[in-house]
Amino acid sequence: MQFKCNQTLPERAIHIALKGPGGTCQRGDGTACFIANNVATTPGDMTERGCTYAGCRGVVGGPVKDAIQLTHGPIGCAFFSWGYRPHLADSDFHMKYTFVTDMNETNIVFGGEKKLLQSIIEANAEFPDAKAVFVYNTCSTALIGDDGRDIAKQAEAIIGKPVVFFECEGFRGVSQSLGHHVGNETIFRQLVGSVEPEGDFSRSINIIGDYNIKNDIRTFEYLFEALGLRIIARFTGNVSVDDLKIMHKAALNIVHCQRSATYIADMMKEKYGTPYINVTLWGIKHMSQALRDTAAFFGLEDRAEEVIAREVARIQPHIDAYRQRLQGKRVFIYQGGPRAWHWIELLRELGMETETVATTFGHTDDYEKIFRQIAEGALIIDNPNVPEIEEILIRRRPDLFISGNKERYLAYKLGVPFVNGHTYDTGPYAGFVGMVNFARDIDKALHAPVWNLLHQHARPAPADRHTTHGFEEVES
Amino acid sequence: MTSCLTIQERAVAINPTRSCAPIGAMLANYGIHGAITINHGSQGCATYPRHQMARHFREPVEVATTSLTEKTTVYGGKQNLLAALKNIWERFHPTMIMVCSTCLSETIGDDIPAIIDEFLDKHPEVTIPILSVKTPSYIGNHTTGFDNFLKEIALNLPERRKKKGETNGKINIIPGWVNPGDIRELKHIVREMGLHGLWITDYSETLDGGYYSPRPHFPRGGTTVEELRSSSKSLATIALQRHIGGEAAHIYERRYNVPAHVLTMPIGLKNTDAFVNTLVEITDHTIPEALEVERARLLDALVDTHMYTTGLRVALFGDPDLLEGLVGLTAEMGMTPAYILTAADNRPWGERMVELTEELGVESEIILKGDLHELHKRIRQRPVDLLIGHSKGKFIADAENIPLVRVGFPVEDRFGYHRRSIVGYNGAIALVDEITNAIFERRATTIVSNTLIETGVEGPTAVPITLRNDAAAR
Repeated sequence: MQFKCNQTLPERAIHIALKGPGGTCQRGDGTACFIANNVATTPGDMTERGCTYAGCRGVVGGPVKDAIQLTHGPIGCAFFSWGYRPHLADSDFHMKYTFVTDMNETNIVFGGEKKLLQSIIEANAEFPDAKAVFVYNTCSTALIGDDGRDIAKQAEAIIGKPVVFFECEGFRGVSQSLGHHVGNETIFRQLVGSVEPEGDFSRSINIIGDYNIKNDIRTFEYLFEALGLRIIARFTGNVSVDDLKIMHKAALNIVHCQRSATYIADMMKEKYGTPYINVTLWGIKHMSQALRDTAAFFGLEDRAEEVIAREVARIQPHIDAYRQRLQGKRVFIYQGGPRAWHWIELLRELGMETETVATTFGHTDDYEKIFRQIAEGALIIDNPNVPEIEEILIRRRPDLFISGNKERYLAYKLGVPFVNGHTYDTGPYAGFVGMVNFARDIDKALHAPVWNLLHQHARPAPADRHTTHGFEEVES
Repeated sequence: MTSCLTIQERAVAINPTRSCAPIGAMLANYGIHGAITINHGSQGCATYPRHQMARHFREPVEVATTSLTEKTTVYGGKQNLLAALKNIWERFHPTMIMVCSTCLSETIGDDIPAIIDEFLDKHPEVTIPILSVKTPSYIGNHTTGFDNFLKEIALNLPERRKKKGETNGKINIIPGWVNPGDIRELKHIVREMGLHGLWITDYSETLDGGYYSPRPHFPRGGTTVEELRSSSKSLATIALQRHIGGEAAHIYERRYNVPAHVLTMPIGLKNTDAFVNTLVEITDHTIPEALEVERARLLDALVDTHMYTTGLRVALFGDPDLLEGLVGLTAEMGMTPAYILTAADNRPWGERMVELTEELGVESEIILKGDLHELHKRIRQRPVDLLIGHSKGKFIADAENIPLVRVGFPVEDRFGYHRRSIVGYNGAIALVDEITNAIFERRATTIVSNTLIETGVEGPTAVPITLRNDAAAR
């Protein structure tokens, strides 16, 4: 597909591919599909990408429920990353509070190290129950050369608890993806294995790469427990600092988000020999497979089949009912990374086909997985920008768009039904029971009477202060 | 009555009330029809504010970024900005481009105006204005970005009068950081006065738009660049927030001989009167019947509600201009703004607020450089009946079981607050109603015969009159 909006941006072409007849790829060698990814964004293309700080503070570090979340930088980074992502836990300190060294001009000129040290001490004094201080570095404090690592060490000696310094300045890397990596590495280096607990861990696992969005973890945790397994740490969602310290004891790592958290699984494998398996914890087929794979590792296959049979029986009538209503709908998924491929099968189980897939920060392995799963004629886009998304919504006219809050109102302005896949409209969406929620939200989005009102009764904008668009002329 | 001024001393900010400068410039730029913002910095500096604005306005918010990376921190961001300018121009053909800086681009020292000049030299076909606004996050806060934007508009866009006395017959109005609903209310007042406003700027529709088919290329509405060009020929400039637009109004006066009127945000009776009277003063138009009726209705609302509001202690937090306006209304309602907390480090404002509250006969603690954790600690020590501020106050409201009346930015946990108005007579009436109802929700098990049957009252509400005179409690 030639994007009209990309006429002046030829460099975007290598980020876009169509799956052709017989599984061929327009940018491939017959078997694989080479989509440019994880490279710098074209300046001014209206990207949806965020920064390394966002990936580290917002995604990986932020959900740790009993750490003081301290941003070393100016106020904005801390304000915007505060309490907007529903990575819930059984306590809400991490959602309610944000801490920032609030660098002002004088600090930028004379350095912020003293202020950082003082901030750590003060924050700890205000909240003595916190188990650690997570310090996130930002663009300005990195540029002026504050030695945050050293300050963290000094502070640790003073307050007597871990001070974890994340080098996640926003300008590093090309997207928030590097922030995930920094988050993984730093937590691994500074916390994991710092305590050696006694006990039998032979039947224990970590859930790696699930952020407990709207309590997702509750939808599958009990399934693993029903197998007879104990969950040590959830990296990172509803997790405490103490859990992270002992997570190296687990017998197996279950890796869900394979973009943002495989790093720590790899590091644990290398250092502690902990094996890991990749799983998808969304949809019937994948969730069942995840339980089977996990059970197989521990020799608990029979129990897995019991659990699966019981749970599937529980939701199947609902899924069948929704499937009747959702059958044949065409979907555009645009997510950060793996959810784009996690959900293709789930949507098929609900009778829907994904015909456009895009990710903000996917890497080659993500695009390989997408390419394998999508049907012929589907379109893949790396790091799409606003005009591209708009053009897809206008010209491909998907029945449903699954994306995040920033894109929601664009979809609405174009009359396209939308479900929030980042932070969920209701949720949770994971596991077996979550799939029913997902189906219900999709059903609501598709069948709300508002679409008929829009399509039958909307009028053109009044002429004053109104500039018409170019896309409609292309094709309808 | 003695009020006092406190400056919070803690190094670490815990739950700040403010965000940073770029979002202010981005918001203001949304008030210009067809204008696009390029944020020169890391991607997060554009994406975070977009996300924040989408949560508040529930509209698509589009801001371009120059996507600076490690390499550019060494070699400078010039090539990225040049590319971004070219891409935005070619793809969108906007009516104006505003480039705002960030911590990153300011710290590495990119000379944005020089880069823009270079771009314009290379691209003679580009005839639109390209404005550079300095918005490093480490200077000031979100209001600073808005204010700096307005100053750049005032300095760069208006055309000089061709002959003395040439006029467009309009009044420049700088609403400041308000909601679309506020701008619509202000427009209503100006219209009723039989006047034409030139709004600097007007995002009343661009950020609270309708559903149109087909979707307009740029959000409908906004002040046009042509109008801004003629803003030097206006009869006067009225800035409705001292710290956002006050300086720009003076630039209009100094450079273009357009008289400046810098007022308190028109919240409440007297503050709105000041605005209306200024319009009268500028134009000799008389106050129309419609506004007189609204004004009378506000007085009526104040008298109808006073038995529920008089003597209540209220905590206000937010930006200085909003607080100054709110102090007016809360005092008119008989409430004591016990804590007035702002993140701004603005001593002259703080001192003026001490005087203002004393003039109004209320006893307040004005807290500068404050954060919400500090406010929470104050409220725990000595409670209040009501909290007025943006959504981030909900954590205090929940913990202390006091109502939060949502005003300001952001309101992200309730619907439609961007559509509401708190300015003008109508805005004040709505706010009086909302405050009173918030008290009802919290304090009364039921309302019988227009009186409260109170729930078990603990804390400060029991005998407010004694509290107000209780000097020892301070």
